[in-house]
Amino acid sequence: MEEVIYHHQEQTWHLSAQRAIFWKEEQALIVSDLHLGKSAHFRKSGIAVPANIGQDDLFRLQRLITIYNPSQIIIVGDMFHSEENNEVPYFKLWRQQFAHISFRLVKGNHDILPAAVYHSMNVEVYEDLCIRDIHFVHEPCADNTAGYTFSGHLHPGILVAGAGRQHLRLPCFYFGRNCSILPAFGRFTGLAMLRPEEDEAVFVIAENSVLKVN
Amino acid sequence: MKNTRGWQVITDWLAARERQPFVFQEEAWKHYLQGRSGLVNAPTGYGKTFSLFLAVVIDWINRHPENYRQKTKNGLQMLWITPLRALAKDIARAMEEVLQELDMPWQVGIRSGDTSTATRQQQKRQMPEILLITPESLHLLMGQKEYPKVFTHLTTVVADEWHELLGSKRGVMVELGLSRLRGLARKAGRPPLKVWGISATIGNLEEAMDVLLGRPDPQAVIVRARLDKQIALQSILPDEIEKYPWAGHLGTKLLYKALPIIMDSQTTLIFTNVRSQTEIWYQEILRQCPELAGAIALHHGSIDMELRIWVEEALHTGVLKAVVCTSSLDLGVDFRPVDTVIQVGSPKGVARFLQRAGRSGHQPGAVSKIWFLPTHSLELVEAAALKAAMKEQLVESRMPVILAFDVLLQYLMTLGISDGFYAPEIWEEITATFCFREITPDEWAWILSFLSTGGEALYSYDEFKKLERENDFFICRSRMMAMRHRLHIGTIVSDAMLKVKFMSGGYIGMIEEWFVARLQPGDTFSLGGRILEFAMIKDMTVLVRKSNAKRAIVPSWMGGRLPLSANLGKVLRRTFSQALSAHTREPELLILRPLFELQERLSHVPKEHELLVEKITTKDGHHLFVYPFEGRLVHEVMAALLAYRISKRQPITFSMAMNDYGFELLSDQPIPVTDEDVYDLFSLNNLGTDLQASVNATEMARRKFRDIAVIAGLIFQGYPGKHKASRHLQSSASLLFNVFKDYDPQNLLLKQAYNEAFFYQMEEARLRESLERINKSHIIITEPESLTPFCFPIKVDSLRENLTSEKLEDRIKKMRPQI
Repeated sequence: MEEVIYHHQEQTWHLSAQRAIFWKEEQALIVSDLHLGKSAHFRKSGIAVPANIGQDDLFRLQRLITIYNPSQIIIVGDMFHSEENNEVPYFKLWRQQFAHISFRLVKGNHDILPAAVYHSMNVEVYEDLCIRDIHFVHEPCADNTAGYTFSGHLHPGILVAGAGRQHLRLPCFYFGRNCSILPAFGRFTGLAMLRPEEDEAVFVIAENSVLKVN
Repeated sequence: MKNTRGWQVITDWLAARERQPFVFQEEAWKHYLQGRSGLVNAPTGYGKTFSLFLAVVIDWINRHPENYRQKTKNGLQMLWITPLRALAKDIARAMEEVLQELDMPWQVGIRSGDTSTATRQQQKRQMPEILLITPESLHLLMGQKEYPKVFTHLTTVVADEWHELLGSKRGVMVELGLSRLRGLARKAGRPPLKVWGISATIGNLEEAMDVLLGRPDPQAVIVRARLDKQIALQSILPDEIEKYPWAGHLGTKLLYKALPIIMDSQTTLIFTNVRSQTEIWYQEILRQCPELAGAIALHHGSIDMELRIWVEEALHTGVLKAVVCTSSLDLGVDFRPVDTVIQVGSPKGVARFLQRAGRSGHQPGAVSKIWFLPTHSLELVEAAALKAAMKEQLVESRMPVILAFDVLLQYLMTLGISDGFYAPEIWEEITATFCFREITPDEWAWILSFLSTGGEALYSYDEFKKLERENDFFICRSRMMAMRHRLHIGTIVSDAMLKVKFMSGGYIGMIEEWFVARLQPGDTFSLGGRILEFAMIKDMTVLVRKSNAKRAIVPSWMGGRLPLSANLGKVLRRTFSQALSAHTREPELLILRPLFELQERLSHVPKEHELLVEKITTKDGHHLFVYPFEGRLVHEVMAALLAYRISKRQPITFSMAMNDYGFELLSDQPIPVTDEDVYDLFSLNNLGTDLQASVNATEMARRKFRDIAVIAGLIFQGYPGKHKASRHLQSSASLLFNVFKDYDPQNLLLKQAYNEAFFYQMEEARLRESLERINKSHIIITEPESLTPFCFPIKVDSLRENLTSEKLEDRIKKMRPQI
């Protein structure tokens, strides 16, 4: 599985093509916007999207865990997509394989499950989280008096253009002056286009590789 | 037959008004009275309505000679399907007048999106004898509990303006609706329905009838009015052709010559091809001729419905001097005061041009006058070509839609929310339609499982819910889902549009979401002829203020860019080849002579059996221009095909541009094409595999998937006025396309998207035909020293695409983010 190692804020970040970051100093795997249970939510409402997207997302997470062997997983919001459905018991079963790893969820706008449900899944829930001066909050905000933040929420993508009006829209990792934004981990998610400034780093995910474009 | 009571009553009534039936009307009456189905081919304004409506009346009087003046509450006798709500009103009025004069107590009702709840309730208690209905409302009717009761007396269904519905998914809705009505009649042991279409002249009338009737009916007839409409086409010529631009698409430079025509006419319709053009023309007319303020209007699909209705009514009463419009005014309704039509730019097809010309001079025998206003010099050739095409009656065909699974899914859900359905019964009915006669049992099984299990084998974690299955019986038991489905019936999928309102209230129109996304507060844009200042977006509504700015961005609406039809392309090639002939008398060709002489001097003017290829080098790079005259879509694919085949000879990257006349390949290195090997590029050998490799079929299919996803009910657009209810159910078609592609590649809707891309976007059949033609023709390669009149419009004014065989990763390395 391809990755790029990036040094930023005096820390070492492994950017994985599977839309996750491994934070070496903290042995933490960081993901955002999983939207688990989204396809199940749609199907429950009669919209026949493929049923196996959620399981596939968890399988990818499983592979990342076996590769990096993290001690904790930080989810920067939108872990589950909506109300409780059958994806919750599925997750509980899946979670048992990694009982030794702590799952820390920074609440996002989609995280509306009752506290008891998170507790039963063995997921710690935070309004915000700060580790080594890095703040984790779901929605990126303009003023960062608090310090450097890692966020999700946007499902960032970037439009790359070449000669002859060629263009592509790809998911990306964004490292701005005040904050970083993670790509959405769930595959049943769209993209919002970012326009980075010149001195900000952007890594796009193209199929199985990560490339620096800015 | 002429001795029957009904026939007598009707001819007497006509005679009393000093009129007599047209021959085709009597012909239609006879066939109808003999119990036949069929198709009436007649132009607007010649009593096509009476050819069938009166037939039903005659039949009724014949069956009730004693009491037809007294009998009321007879139940629904005739369904009259019409594509436009506006048409329904006019036709209902005309029918009511006749019934009143005949002293018949029949009711005429309208059922469309505009019909009030009170009227619906009244209709539920007692259906009128005649119901005018849109295809969507017919399906809605079938989505109500105990709907078969409505149709127990039905004898006749008429599909008006059938040529308009035929090539669209709305036509499929009509086919499916008819299949159910026929099935209901058969099940109840009633005589077969009489089904009639009314159609303007198209290239495939026979097929149009077959589609309507579903199964071949040896008794069915086509009744032709044979009333040739006189059409006079005249071009608006620039004073100095040398100064008229070689490229462009607006045409406002010639407005000064159109103004006197508008002034001399009672009412003028100005047809443009796209909505943005109507906005520009409207502004420009007011700028050059301020005294017309209040006397001109504009009409296009994005304008508030009420405003459009006002414009239509004002057209009736003759208070408007001119209306700038798009194809939104192509159809049907007669505006008697309209005596002049101006077509701005290419009409792209003969049928469309005839229809637009027919908007003027409605009285039988009157000459329809239409002016052609070119947007660039070469377009004048199209005027000459149109004259020839009209003379030879080269009218385009409308290709019926086949295997529209999205519409079928929607229809089955509709039946599911009313009384439910038995699958074998519906299978019998739909396989007797033209659209679904080739559906396989496997596909049918997939469709049923998609609705009942969500396309997956049942497993413990799945909670899919839509239709419940009880052996062969399928029904929807969720009121919530039924309500949601009812709001989604229909196949007209608009782009993601937002309402535009004043801050102070007051609705102006609709605008595409992606256009608004580019606006900053304070930016001005024009809509509905007004200049507006963008303030903010709130609750899915664009809030604006009035602006006094003189200039504003004109929103460009996607779509509506039709390619040149194959018929017109063919005549156009011939017309071009005659351009330099000493015998030509066409004023358009004569005035263009200097341009053609220049083209001949720099390069060549191709003859009918020739294909011209120009190799030109400019500071932009190396260009290859090719002129097949096959329309933009075919050119798009052909350009990609050529680029791919050349790139197999040596590594090379191309940028491509195309318009309706030809296409361009542009590269930073010389393009290796010679007289010897040029034929290989157009070869039919390996066409299939080369197309797969060169055309981005996935992107094309993705675009097609949007409509399919909406029609099939995969995209939930929310309830009107309720945003919360749709929480967490939003998704874009593009996203759905991706997940289906990755997780369910066998999905039938995905396959439909690819098929539609091949059929409509790539026009594969037409591409094959044109390659065959090119293979038989003489390919001439010239190497002009400068840009030619032919290549100019392609170079400066066309849509650009690109082809590359490089790896994604390598491409990205060369690209830069867009800031």
